[in-house]
Amino acid sequence: MKHSVSRRQMLATLGGLLAGLASLAAARTARGAVKKVLVTTKAPRGYDPHQHKWLMCFDVDKCIGCGLCVDACKTENHVPAGPMYFRTWIERYIIKKPEPGSGKTRGEVLVDSPNGGRDGFPPTTVPREEILKAFFVPKLCNLCEASPCTQVCPVGATFDAPDGAVLVDPNYCIGCGFCIQACPYGCRFLNPETRVAEKCTLCYHRITRGLKPACVEICPTEARIFGDLKHPVENDPIQAFIQKHRVHTLKPHLGTEPRVLYANLDKEVR
Amino acid sequence: MPPQIFRLVLLTLAIIVSYIIARYLLTPASFGQYGFYRAEALAEAATPEPVFAGRKACLECHEDIQEKLLKGEHKTIGCESCHGVGREHAQNPDVKLGKIGDSGCLRCHEDNGARPAWIKVIVVKDHYRGDKCAGCHVPHQPNEVP
Amino acid sequence: MSAEATNAVNVVIETLPRFEGFVYPNESGPHPLWGFLIVIYPYITGLVAGAFIMASLVRVFRVKALEPVYRLSLLTALAFLLCAPLPLLFHLGHPERSYQIMITPHLTSPMAIFGFVYAWYLMAVLLLELWFDYRQDFVEWARITPGWRGIIYRAFTLGVTDTSERAVALDMKMSWIISIIGIPSAFLLHGYVGFIFGSIKANPWWGNVLMPIIFILSAMVSGIALCVFNYMVLSWVRRRELDMRCLDVMGMFLFYALVVDAAIEALDWIHRAYSAVEGFHVMEYMARERLFYTLSIGQLAVGTVVPLLLLGALQILRKRVPELFRKRIYFTSAVLILIGVFAMRWNVVMGGQYFSKSLRGVMSYKLEFAGVEGWFMGMILLALPFVILTVLIKLFLSEQLPTSGHVPHPPTAPLETGASAPRPAGA
Repeated sequence: MKHSVSRRQMLATLGGLLAGLASLAAARTARGAVKKVLVTTKAPRGYDPHQHKWLMCFDVDKCIGCGLCVDACKTENHVPAGPMYFRTWIERYIIKKPEPGSGKTRGEVLVDSPNGGRDGFPPTTVPREEILKAFFVPKLCNLCEASPCTQVCPVGATFDAPDGAVLVDPNYCIGCGFCIQACPYGCRFLNPETRVAEKCTLCYHRITRGLKPACVEICPTEARIFGDLKHPVENDPIQAFIQKHRVHTLKPHLGTEPRVLYANLDKEVR
Repeated sequence: MPPQIFRLVLLTLAIIVSYIIARYLLTPASFGQYGFYRAEALAEAATPEPVFAGRKACLECHEDIQEKLLKGEHKTIGCESCHGVGREHAQNPDVKLGKIGDSGCLRCHEDNGARPAWIKVIVVKDHYRGDKCAGCHVPHQPNEVP
Repeated sequence: MSAEATNAVNVVIETLPRFEGFVYPNESGPHPLWGFLIVIYPYITGLVAGAFIMASLVRVFRVKALEPVYRLSLLTALAFLLCAPLPLLFHLGHPERSYQIMITPHLTSPMAIFGFVYAWYLMAVLLLELWFDYRQDFVEWARITPGWRGIIYRAFTLGVTDTSERAVALDMKMSWIISIIGIPSAFLLHGYVGFIFGSIKANPWWGNVLMPIIFILSAMVSGIALCVFNYMVLSWVRRRELDMRCLDVMGMFLFYALVVDAAIEALDWIHRAYSAVEGFHVMEYMARERLFYTLSIGQLAVGTVVPLLLLGALQILRKRVPELFRKRIYFTSAVLILIGVFAMRWNVVMGGQYFSKSLRGVMSYKLEFAGVEGWFMGMILLALPFVILTVLIKLFLSEQLPTSGHVPHPPTAPLETGASAPRPAGA
């Protein structure tokens, strides 16, 4: 509003702008071509995201809190070290017995996740006779049907892929952090090196090659169940899991419709 | 049209046109192909090489161990859960895998107050400590005694 | 399994617990994700919206007593609006990609609308209203001012030199129309900032329908306070007499805006406590432990109760209080309110990050002096609008330049005899 003295000058400015944008577009096309070559040589061929719908579920009773999955995830995906960057982690819940005569159903609830459970869990200081019940809960991206994180991304850098994975485009993310604030489950973090949001990809580079995600591969007790809802195999573990158990999701009242299902979840788990 | 309004209309048009042009030129090529994102991002996410080789890769040579493993309680455990990343070993058998110490066993079998009842746990200080775990237990066949 | 391996980041693993209870591991970092810069952003935006509402009191609601601060309010709004995107830009992980918000705006994201709301407000509202109001003056000033300043004024005329009575009447009419459009636009500008926070259902401290309304009301309060502050400082610098009637009316509007704002914010708290919303216990603990100084002292005592008492007393005793005393009270209240609203922005932004979304623990952060999110940077960004405003005042509220006689009303408005005389420049 402030510039442009005459019409001629304005046209000249406009022309210059056009020329600049044209050269920019040329550079963009060139870069796109380079990327395409990279993609066709390295990425798995013939994977059609529309032909799959991946899902991971958890059987809380089977988790022994070894933390191997957390370690495997960090190794497989080169997740930054440090106790505040996790794509998956394990929480230990220790629910104490209520004070005698207190009339409560349960006592204090102690939750911890030292280094995300990556190094396993140290023995608890709570004496065994004071423990009402205790269990481990593995956490990762809840693959929400109505994902609040993709809803708030201002540029479309995070999205629900057709095959059910919720991904971040690290080359397009502006690093505003809105998705991290919007995720009710604390599943996202800002990568300190790349300065973009990061999260579980269901090991996208593995599942597109027919492998299981690293955490599923490494879990010694099959507490993590992974499968394709569009192509159930014989004795499909996902189908069996959903038939066998009464399942629950985390924070269902938020209306995020998580697809990740938990069997044997306690109400204290949030 | 009054001159001041005319100027503003011109300016507005110039801004809108340059926005449309900029948008046309700067939008990534694959944007919107699948949804409101760069479709290329999917291929990029699929590009990195896997680190863990996976059970299938191990079975190419070690089917005998797998057969033993399936008979016992440790049948659900993947090879790389205990032996560590095996990709290099799978590509070149001369690259040896790391040794597994007692800490590998304790990771699952040490009591930490919250393990489910079905898993066998020990309290280290109360457990027989004369030898390494493998002195009494066979990891691939935990039901058997050496 | 050794897994340190490839990605050796230099992360210092702090052993001191930075939190009480349990927080999700990804929440346990040493810095809040949204820091000081994001506190400044809604603060500055609120001042813009408030200052604009102040100006529209003159043009749309024809409050003639406020004419002396009409142009000052608009220039204040402009100076702060120019700085509003800076904190956002600096806090991005990739500022160089910020243009994508305009190129591929994701329409379900409140943040994507920022580019458009901002552009609309700057180009279609504020600059247009200022241009129509100033156009007649620009033509005159371009004629009488030599040197680079003359060139600036000439450029701002956009080559239109028509100052006939008909053209000026059209200018005033346009300015009035734009001002009317501007009021909802100002609400939109700041209401949407409130919506950015209010729409995050994951966070019970933020996710609240009242959030946009609270933001709009506190914006009006802070904007009027800023205009009082600027007007008094400018008059003091220029050694000019303050227009006491103008000041009294500003004080009155400030009081009533503050009453409504305080009432709605109190309603928010009462509702949360009474309906025992999920996580209220952790929010209450957090507010008591982590936000005591900014919430109880800053926002409640300094920013609300004291100014309410001071300004309220003046509403009752106005004529009986000597002028000097009134001036001091207005100035004190304005400064206190500006501090209080800043504390309110702090409480909203930081409060939402002081407790875990697991609702089982609270975090604590230490604000640093250096760094992009540190004190120093924040202070620079808070000072910058005042620097810009000084330049704008030198250029457009100069005492050396004559001001045209038009009044900021639509031509149909009944003219008061006093208002039709040329306004004293600079005030």
